[in-house]
Amino acid sequence: MTAALRPLGRVWRYRELLHSLVVRNLKVKYQRSLLGFVWTLVNPLFTVAVLGVVFSHVVRIPLAQYWAFLLSGYFVWNFTLQTLNTGTYIFAEHSRLTRSVAFPSEILVFGAAGSRLIEFAVEIGLVLAVLAIFHHHAVPDSYLVLPVLLAIQLLLVIGLALPIATLSVFYYDVYHALPIALTTLFYLSPVFYPAEMVPAAARGLYFLNPIAGLLTLYHDVLYWGRMPSPHLLAGMLLAAVLIYLAGYALFRRYAAIFPEIV
Amino acid sequence: MPAVELRGVSKRFYFYEHRTSSLREWFIRRVLRRPIHVRRAAFTLHDVDLTVGRGDAVALLGRNGSGKSTVLRLIAGIYHPSSGTVRTEGRITAVIELGAGFHPELTGAENIALYAAVLGLRRKELAERYDDIVEFAAIPDLPDTPLKYYSSGMEARLAFSVAVCLQPDILLLDEVLAVGDQAFRERCLERLRQYHARGGTLILVSHELEQLRELCTRGVWLDQGRVVMDGPIDAVLERYRA
Repeated sequence: MTAALRPLGRVWRYRELLHSLVVRNLKVKYQRSLLGFVWTLVNPLFTVAVLGVVFSHVVRIPLAQYWAFLLSGYFVWNFTLQTLNTGTYIFAEHSRLTRSVAFPSEILVFGAAGSRLIEFAVEIGLVLAVLAIFHHHAVPDSYLVLPVLLAIQLLLVIGLALPIATLSVFYYDVYHALPIALTTLFYLSPVFYPAEMVPAAARGLYFLNPIAGLLTLYHDVLYWGRMPSPHLLAGMLLAAVLIYLAGYALFRRYAAIFPEIV
Repeated sequence: MPAVELRGVSKRFYFYEHRTSSLREWFIRRVLRRPIHVRRAAFTLHDVDLTVGRGDAVALLGRNGSGKSTVLRLIAGIYHPSSGTVRTEGRITAVIELGAGFHPELTGAENIALYAAVLGLRRKELAERYDDIVEFAAIPDLPDTPLKYYSSGMEARLAFSVAVCLQPDILLLDEVLAVGDQAFRERCLERLRQYHARGGTLILVSHELEQLRELCTRGVWLDQGRVVMDGPIDAVLERYRA
């Protein structure tokens, strides 16, 4: 148990550096842009619009208010995609820092996820409001589960980003391979279709992809406005914790030699 | 307990091809079992013993590649020894690369905050020292100008100002004293002398031997990863120059 908590202690000790990195990431991203945060919204909204047109008018996904379905999952997918991608270059980008200062290098990954999380918080806040007003015409009780979903999402994505970052230090191939993997994952995750459309026989296999479970939870809570099944919620929480611990353990095992390699 | 104690420290680096290379080679090696290269071990340090007492000022001398920076990185905890032990007592600030962590798009003030956080300074401590740092750097319009508009000399000055204003227990400097103009360098030396006079432990790597003589009382000469001489700075410099 203490071994599992140690990482939290390390992060706590370096919280000011973490804070500085998050602030820096956001400042650097937005300070010289007139529209600033609008761009962060435009990109996914544009994709949502295209998906919305294609999958409600060309290939028809039989869901009422399909746009609401897309909104309830797409930003989660976008957060996952961007955070995992960051893992492939974060150490190359900070090689000077890694070589010349002793600090727990996972802070870099946490910092990248942290600044993305702040953007995501704004995005999901807007989505919540839009769905409550135009889709549910009320604030559904299911919104109360959101903190749990957020915890699952963070543990899961950071738990996957850490081994990706580790591998990227040793093999530049990851940088090229990950986009392919993520494109595949986009089709194998319920981003533009509901998981219920997957044939029942294949669903066990389908849900081996943890992102599929995560998105299904968001669909339940945001689109359907219903409490997710306790099974799925508990299972995903457990899976997220395990993936995080495994990813972190792998990272720690190799992190000591990063300064010699990057 | 001395400030720094290295006992029988060796550092070995492996040059694996696959560390910088590709999965294709991994496949060739592991799956086809065809060796395409040999794992090469290179010693940077061999059985180094070094004890630095509290308040000492030590100069590390030696040619390029003799292992000076590796010693500093081991003391700072950036590298871990392949064998032997490294023990330190007190807060360490290591300036191995000046301004690592600086971001060109951020202003001087923002970079000071970031660099200070990187070097382990708390925000409260920074607030106490901020004016001192800005004054020491003496760069006009420093706080509000993005770093990318600085000259390289000014950038180095800013980094150095943060480093010397930190007041750690142990300060490690790796060839960073050659920054700025003559006047700024004089002030840096003066600041380091004050730091040492107040009881700070100083370990310096430099090729500017006169500077080392001025600042340090003891010299440690490294050659090919071994300590070849350790003694009073004048005696070591004399042998080193010969």
